[in-house]
Amino acid sequence: MKLRSHLLVLSIATAAPIVALATVIAVVVVKQERDSVRDAAGERVVAVMSAIDAELRGSIATLRAMAASAHLESGNLKGFHSDAMRIFATHPDWLDFTLARGDGIRLLNSANPPGKDLGPVSDRESFDLAMQRGEPVIGRVAPGPEGRSLGIPLRMPVANPDGTLKYMVTVVLKPDAFSDVLRAQKLPEGWVVNLIDSNHKVIARLPPMPAGRPASDSFRAQLAKAPHGWFRGKTLEGREVYTPYLTSALSGWTLGIGMPTGTLDAAAWRGLWLLVVLIGVASAVAVGFALLLSWRIAKPIAALAAASEAVGRGERAEFPARTPIAEIDSLAATLKQAAEAMREKHELAEREKTALQAADRAKDEFLAMLSHELRNPLAALTAAAHVLKLATPNESAAIKARGVVERQTKHMARLVADLLDISRVAMGKVALERERFNLYEAVGNLLNVWRASGRLERHRLMVDARPVWVDADRARLDQILSNLLDNAVKFTPAGKRITVTVGPQGEMALLRVSDEGEGLPPDSAERMFDLFVQGERGLDRAAGGLGVGLALVKRLTEMHGGTVSAMSAGPGRGATFTVLLPAVLPPSTRATKPEEPTRVAPRRVLIVEDNDDTRQMLFEALAFSGHDVREARDGATGIALAAESRPDVALIDIGLPDVDGYEVARRLRAAPGGRNIGLIAITGYGQPEDQKRAYEAGFDAHLTKPVAAERLKQVMAGLQ
Amino acid sequence: MSKRILVVDDDADMRLTLKLSLELAGYVVDVAGNAREALAQQRERPADVLITDIFMPDADGFEAIDAFRREYPDTKIVVVSGGAQFTKRDYLPDAELIGVDATLQKPFDVDTLLALLKGMVPS
Repeated sequence: MKLRSHLLVLSIATAAPIVALATVIAVVVVKQERDSVRDAAGERVVAVMSAIDAELRGSIATLRAMAASAHLESGNLKGFHSDAMRIFATHPDWLDFTLARGDGIRLLNSANPPGKDLGPVSDRESFDLAMQRGEPVIGRVAPGPEGRSLGIPLRMPVANPDGTLKYMVTVVLKPDAFSDVLRAQKLPEGWVVNLIDSNHKVIARLPPMPAGRPASDSFRAQLAKAPHGWFRGKTLEGREVYTPYLTSALSGWTLGIGMPTGTLDAAAWRGLWLLVVLIGVASAVAVGFALLLSWRIAKPIAALAAASEAVGRGERAEFPARTPIAEIDSLAATLKQAAEAMREKHELAEREKTALQAADRAKDEFLAMLSHELRNPLAALTAAAHVLKLATPNESAAIKARGVVERQTKHMARLVADLLDISRVAMGKVALERERFNLYEAVGNLLNVWRASGRLERHRLMVDARPVWVDADRARLDQILSNLLDNAVKFTPAGKRITVTVGPQGEMALLRVSDEGEGLPPDSAERMFDLFVQGERGLDRAAGGLGVGLALVKRLTEMHGGTVSAMSAGPGRGATFTVLLPAVLPPSTRATKPEEPTRVAPRRVLIVEDNDDTRQMLFEALAFSGHDVREARDGATGIALAAESRPDVALIDIGLPDVDGYEVARRLRAAPGGRNIGLIAITGYGQPEDQKRAYEAGFDAHLTKPVAAERLKQVMAGLQ
Repeated sequence: MSKRILVVDDDADMRLTLKLSLELAGYVVDVAGNAREALAQQRERPADVLITDIFMPDADGFEAIDAFRREYPDTKIVVVSGGAQFTKRDYLPDAELIGVDATLQKPFDVDTLLALLKGMVPS
């Protein structure tokens, strides 16, 4: 079931009892309304009946007075008639009066004085009843003995002393008199009021109906059940009415007031109809709110569901940012986090997979390369063996073949050594033999070895070196730098520059080799240190190798607690490999004091060098050896200082900020006494070409940076 | 008349030892370090047999093979390679597929090569 339906049910469930209660209340109210109208009508009936009873009581009182007339006791009928005629004149509501004998024969009435028999009374039943009771009796509506208009007899017996009936005095009332009473009630239009006698004949009625006519069937049937109450029935005209009615104890007459059912029911129906409309409106409002609410709730939930599905399909999901519902907001936030975590996990897995694939590929390539690298020399060796087997030893072919054997075995030996080395390092079988030494000097020494071997002769080597001390394994640091240089030489075209930088960098010792070679493919910098990864020219023998050099650099550096990184501006734009090792403080000078004393005689020495560290290092080394040392930061100052202090020896940096070192040398040489001054060039350029240029400028010696203290001593000694 | 053989390999020592071995066996031998040189040599002095390595700089060994097969259909072709059978870099089966006359895996016995050559170009 949809949320919308749930909310609909909820709102209906909430509204239903209220609607039910409202209905009950409405029905009760309608019923009370009807009851109160009916009760009012009932009171009206009592009041009208009282008025009618009062009317009757008045006539009965008069009747009693007439019956008690002295004329009757004395038998003076004339006197009685005349008295009665006077009373009759004051009672317009009377139709007639009569006096009858005990046997029911009338002796006189309003039209006839006594004197002749007027015949029997008409309503014998009331006559007998009155005679029996000895009390006044109200008769029925009946026509008179002469068939005249209808009247209602009130009879009062007059008894003889022996108790027998002497006379019966009767007053006949006009039914019209009661019509006046009814009319005086001023009942609402459409209402029916009906007064009937004990014989259920109409006495008076509104709207008018001839007296003596029987009451309606429904009225008569109701009267047979109860003397008073109310009922719903049809009037003589056939209209539907509610009728409260009452039967008088005095007269036995019944009064009913009929209210048209329409009047009462219309009010009830109007109330009910209003109720229905109100319930309808309330229900519509409730349903409307439910729908609005469900839309507001369901919409963000649907959006959330869609987003979750998208996450499930692995697509990028749009989560609803803000909804009107706090719980949905927090759910969305949670789902979003979960989705992000999932995506990160997925991406991580993808990266790991890619890395694994790359490692697998690198391994395959390594095996292929290994195969190639080992099979090629083997093939050459096999063929050489074949030649040696056939050729006589002194034959040129044999001599050449021996050369091949020598070269190829050396080559293979190096390959095998590399392989063993990397596997030993990888397995953690290499122990570092740490000692504290100046990296600056170690680098200088190694560069001298490389220069001597001629392996750097095809490139321009630049050195930027400053002293920095490390606690490390000398041999392994040599290996690190050698591998980096190897790499640079391999991938840098002849004539391009290779720069070696060594010195402090913050807390670390920096060793950097930059080249102007092929550079690295984009995004491959990190991979360069993985085992077996080759440069792009993996198939080229010139760049051949097993791809273990940089991996070795990384492992060895990390064993020293350092880091290594590669950087390139892109293919063809050179590469820079940077090794950072933890630097240590230099051993205190006191500890190094008991060195062998210098064999150099103290001299005045001038240093012209713009690099503060190098100048400082040179200054300390020379001053320690007992020389009198002056320093200058640039060429002009150096020349001025030389003129003033007349040094025996001048150490001059070639790359000065103002004039170059060659120019400084030429000027010093040309100055007075300059012929005897010892001039030493200090430079990062170590090519034979550079040396030649230095000698041409008048230098006596040429020192390549970094300058080892021992080498400086030798050169100083050589100038003596 | 002696048969002429062109050896193409980027490794100088490999070229040298093969040249010496084949000369000892009585062949006339030219050498080249890459496919371009080999084609130049062939134009000057057409060889009866081409012995070529597949790994070479400048041009893939296949390129040389393809050029020879088109331009010198009578020249026999022997391919040697250092690639191993357990890696993706084993090109010898590929070479066989494109229809070279023989393949050899490095290192190989020179007598095997000589026997092969004898079958191809009987003197």
